[in-house]
Amino acid sequence: MTTTLEMPPRPAETTSTATPTTAHRQTLGRAIHSEWIKIRSLRSTWIGMATVVLVMIGLGSLSAAVSTGSVAAPGDGGGPLGGGGPLSTVLAGADFAVLLIGVLGSLAGAREYSSRMISATVAAVPRRWQVVAAKAIVLAAVVIPTALIGVMGAFGAGMGILSASDAATVALTDDGVLRSVLGMAGYVTAIALLGLGLGILLRSTAGSIGAVVGGIMVLPTVAGALLPDSWDTVLRFLPSSAASSFTTVMSAGDSTLSAGAGVAVLAAWVAAALGAAAFAITRRDV
Amino acid sequence: MIELQQLTKKYGDKVAVDGISATVRPGVVTGFLGPNGAGKSTTMRMIVGLDRPTSGTALVNGRPYAASRAPLAEVGALLDAKAADGGRTARNHLLALGATVGIGKRRVDEVLASVGLTEVAHKSAGSFSLGMGQRLGIAAALLADPEVLILDEPVNGLDLDGIQWIRALLTELADEGRTVLLSSHLMSEMQLVADHLLVIGQGRILADTSIEGFIEESSGGSRVVVASPDAGALARLLTGDGVVLTTREPGRFEVRDLTAAEIGDVAAEHGLRIHELTPVTASLESAYLELTRDRVEFTATAQHPARTDRTARTARPATDDTTKAA
Ligand SMILES: Nc1ncnc2c1ncn2[C@@H]1O[C@H](COP(=O)(O)OP(=O)(O)O)[C@@H](O)[C@H]1O
Ligand SMILES: [Mg+2]
Repeated sequence: MTTTLEMPPRPAETTSTATPTTAHRQTLGRAIHSEWIKIRSLRSTWIGMATVVLVMIGLGSLSAAVSTGSVAAPGDGGGPLGGGGPLSTVLAGADFAVLLIGVLGSLAGAREYSSRMISATVAAVPRRWQVVAAKAIVLAAVVIPTALIGVMGAFGAGMGILSASDAATVALTDDGVLRSVLGMAGYVTAIALLGLGLGILLRSTAGSIGAVVGGIMVLPTVAGALLPDSWDTVLRFLPSSAASSFTTVMSAGDSTLSAGAGVAVLAAWVAAALGAAAFAITRRDV
Repeated sequence: MIELQQLTKKYGDKVAVDGISATVRPGVVTGFLGPNGAGKSTTMRMIVGLDRPTSGTALVNGRPYAASRAPLAEVGALLDAKAADGGRTARNHLLALGATVGIGKRRVDEVLASVGLTEVAHKSAGSFSLGMGQRLGIAAALLADPEVLILDEPVNGLDLDGIQWIRALLTELADEGRTVLLSSHLMSEMQLVADHLLVIGQGRILADTSIEGFIEESSGGSRVVVASPDAGALARLLTGDGVVLTTREPGRFEVRDLTAAEIGDVAAEHGLRIHELTPVTASLESAYLELTRDRVEFTATAQHPARTDRTARTARPATDDTTKAA
């Protein structure tokens, strides 16, 4: 490494304007730009997103193939993969993709705490709520297309496999199908943001991954098994249950919320996590 | 300009920074000197709003840093050389930080060149040595051409080449009229770069003085160690105009501002016995060590009746400094 003794020249903008602060005003838009540079310059972002797409399309195709019998099912025919109609067959990868995106969201939130980058970040953006807002916006901007590609890819590939074997299929134009497919993409995005909020809130990758995975996968199952039936009303408000109200084609009757209520409940979870993150990052020492 | 007013930070019962008041002026390099754990980093973190003061205020150019409209263009800070994501390249790290105040590629490349990182601009920050990390941190601090620079132990991890480079850089920045505050726990480093010294120990300011003043006070003002069985009587005779006596153990004391000859003459005149009379010239390093150690001793044995007050020479008024013209 060579040492140069030259001094950094002043940027042109500051010499031409009265005060450096007018040209270099820090705005929410610039905070978003900064977070965009950060998210796109990490290879792990793109590996993670590619994995989410591959999981959705791969598992969806596999599930479709298994259900038509072109690939031998591990257990008896019509097992868990083939049980809920063509749509849930081809979206079989979604559950796993949701867990994966929860992990990626947690990493997006907690990563700067493990690298200590967060001190540089909040020194650059002292109105710290902007850091949370900017991170949420760019994460959504990356995850929404990823989720759409994933669900549409899984739908197209899966239905293709089903129709090639003359199995029953559904079209996007069928009643409720498009809503479920887009709903699944929305659910994936919501869980990414929930993970982001928890990552910032807990400042720990392990802790926030545990919280997201536990809250989505473990808690509903365990609570459903252990708690008396009277608790079912409460359990409907868990993120995964709320999401099932608009990601499945068939209404499950009383046991789930209406689609509109489900969207509202999930959005409330996301808002609560991001709001708590913004509150915490503003109040505590870095 | 940085103004600290009764700045205090407590972590539970631990007082990390204890009511610091000081002004860091533009146009000079101010060295923030103190042993490890003295509270330097905590103070600097409070200035840029990373940590919230328990009480008191830290103002940058007259307002809290968090109220700044263009933070990076107002204060450039190197607080933690490792505060970069190891998975991102040096250039992308700077692009991301610069983007918060509209700084783009051209300026980032300029700054990378000026800190000597052009060749490794596309290497991940995780692969950097401590010295390279420091340079990257300095690059981030310089990015938006700020009026105020705050560098926490920037020399740490730099080779001799790097130290000379940073010395030239800081002098140049101060000469341009900027406010430069850098910390170190080593007097030897400060001697090389600082014009003004802010010495801190156990969270309190022990000295706020120009480096010339510090040198004058520590080595210029002569010190003589006297051992005498008649210490008490001799001490009474010597006490007078501007003479400071320091007792460290019974029968021994230190005299400032009198020569060994003068002390010997006084003793002979009054028939007092002298067993030892040793002139001591303190180096800056030992003056600093003594200053910070005194702080510890003083708080530990404040009730000791036989002690002479030794804080008089450490606490200099904040106005008593020589500020170079900006
Ligand atoms: N986050 C913290 N929690 C508890 N104690 C802390 C924390 N940060 C610093 N301290 C304590 O505050 C004191 C001052 O630390 P610091 O400002 O890092 O000193 P310096 O930078 O001068 O070495 C030390 O005793 C340190 O242990
Ligand atoms: Mg420190």
